[in-house]
Amino acid sequence: MRRVYDRILPGRNASVLLALPLLFLFSCGEAPTSSSGGADEAPQVEMDAEGMMPARRQKAFKQIFHAVPSPIETALLLERSGIRFDAEALNPIDKAMGYTTTEAQAVNLGIYAGDLSYSVIFNQNQQSVDYLNTCRRLCDGLGVGDIIDADLIARADNNRDVRDSLVHIVTETFYELNARFRENGMEEVSGLMAAGGWIEGLYLGTRNLSSSTEDLKLRIAEQKMTLDNLLGLVDSYPPTEALTKMKQVLTSVEAAYANVTVTENEAAATAAEDGTVVISGGPSVQYEDAALEEIAASVAKIRNLYAQ
Amino acid sequence: MNVSSNAMTAIKKFSLAAFSLLMVLFSASDADAQCRTFTKKRCLPQLEDYVQNDNYNTAVLIPGDEAELELTFFGDRAYRLLVCGHPVLGDLTFQVLDSRGNGIYDSTDKESNHFDFRVANTQQMTVRVQVPSSDAVIEHEGCVSIMVGSKG
Repeated sequence: MRRVYDRILPGRNASVLLALPLLFLFSCGEAPTSSSGGADEAPQVEMDAEGMMPARRQKAFKQIFHAVPSPIETALLLERSGIRFDAEALNPIDKAMGYTTTEAQAVNLGIYAGDLSYSVIFNQNQQSVDYLNTCRRLCDGLGVGDIIDADLIARADNNRDVRDSLVHIVTETFYELNARFRENGMEEVSGLMAAGGWIEGLYLGTRNLSSSTEDLKLRIAEQKMTLDNLLGLVDSYPPTEALTKMKQVLTSVEAAYANVTVTENEAAATAAEDGTVVISGGPSVQYEDAALEEIAASVAKIRNLYAQ
Repeated sequence: MNVSSNAMTAIKKFSLAAFSLLMVLFSASDADAQCRTFTKKRCLPQLEDYVQNDNYNTAVLIPGDEAELELTFFGDRAYRLLVCGHPVLGDLTFQVLDSRGNGIYDSTDKESNHFDFRVANTQQMTVRVQVPSSDAVIEHEGCVSIMVGSKG
C-alpha cells in the first residue's frame, strides 16, 4: 500500500497531501450533487464558474451597503447647476509623486478621481487623459496598477473627444477599482478613496459661491444627505487609524452642515403622463448663504489637509 | 497483484474526488472575484444607457438572506435601480423605502428585476432585497448585486 502511495505522490509528505483533502471533506459537510446532465449541463457548468457555488454557511444574515454618489455623478450635477470650469481649483498632477503613504495615495486617488470626472464632464480632453494617468500612478502605489493599464489609457486617449465614452471608461474603471479593493480586503483604501472623491466634488462645487446659481446652492446643501451616506460607509469598515482620522475630519464638515435643515416628508411614487414613475415629496432643504460659506471653508480645509 | 490494482483504482478515485472538492473550496475563497465577473458580464449590460454609480454593492448571499442599500437620489435625474442575482437563488424581491421607512415600490409580483424612476426632490432612500428561502437539502450561494444607474 505504501508503495502505491509513493507511485501516485512520490515524496515524504504524500500521506499528508492525501489527508488534506480528507480534512476539507469532513469539515465542510455534504458535497454537492452532480448536475442531472443533458441539455442543461453546459449552462450549469458556466454558472458554476461565475457567481454560484454550494453554500458555505447556513445562517441567514443581512448585508448592508452604504453608497455615495460617484465623482462622475457629482460632476454632472455641478455642470447642470451652471458651474463654470475652474482649472485652478484642481489638485495639480505633479503633486501625485509626493503622496507616498497608503492613506495619502488612497484619499488623493479619490481627489484625483473627482478632478478627472470634472475634467471629463467639462470636455477638458487633454486634462482628462492627464488625470487618468495620475490616477494610474497612485493605483500603482496601491498595488492595483493593472486596473488602469496602458491599453485603458490608450482607449481614453483615442476617445478623448467623445464625452460619453470617457464617462463610460471612468465609471467602469472606478467600479473595477472598488471591486478589487473588496476582493483584496482593502476596505480602508476603498473608504478613503470614496471620501476623497466626495470631498473633492464638494470642494469644486463651493469655489465660487458668490456667483453660484440657486440650483448649485441647493445641490451643495443637499450634500448633507450624501455626507450621512459617506459617514455610514466609513463606519461600516473595520476601524483603522486613517479611517478614524477621516471620520473626525468629516465630522467637522458635518458640524458645518448643522445650519442646513432637512425636513423629512413622506414620499410617494406616481406615474407621469409618459409612463415614467416619479417619486414626489420627500425632504425639503432649508439653508442660508452663510451656512454654505461655512461648509465651503470647512471642506476646503480638509481637502487641503489631504492634498497638500 | 489484484489487491494492489484495486487499491490503486480506489485511491485514484478518492484523490480525484478530493481534488475536485478542493477546487470547489478554492473557488469559494475566490467568490468575490467570481462575483465581479458575474456582475460585469450579466448585470452591468442591463443598465443600458444609464451611467452606473461606481460603488460595488455586490455580495455572496444564501437563501433567506437580505441586503440593504442606503443611497441618496438626486432630484431631476432619472434612475434605474437594478437588482441582479444569480439564477440559483431564485426570484429576488426588493422594495424601495423613503427616509421614514415607508414603502414606495415593491417588486413582488412584478416580473422585472429593475425599477426605473425619477425623483422630484433629492432624497435618501433604502433599497431592501430579499433572497427567497429554500427547502433544498443542499443550498447554494450566489452573487447578488444592487446596481444604480442614472441619466438625464
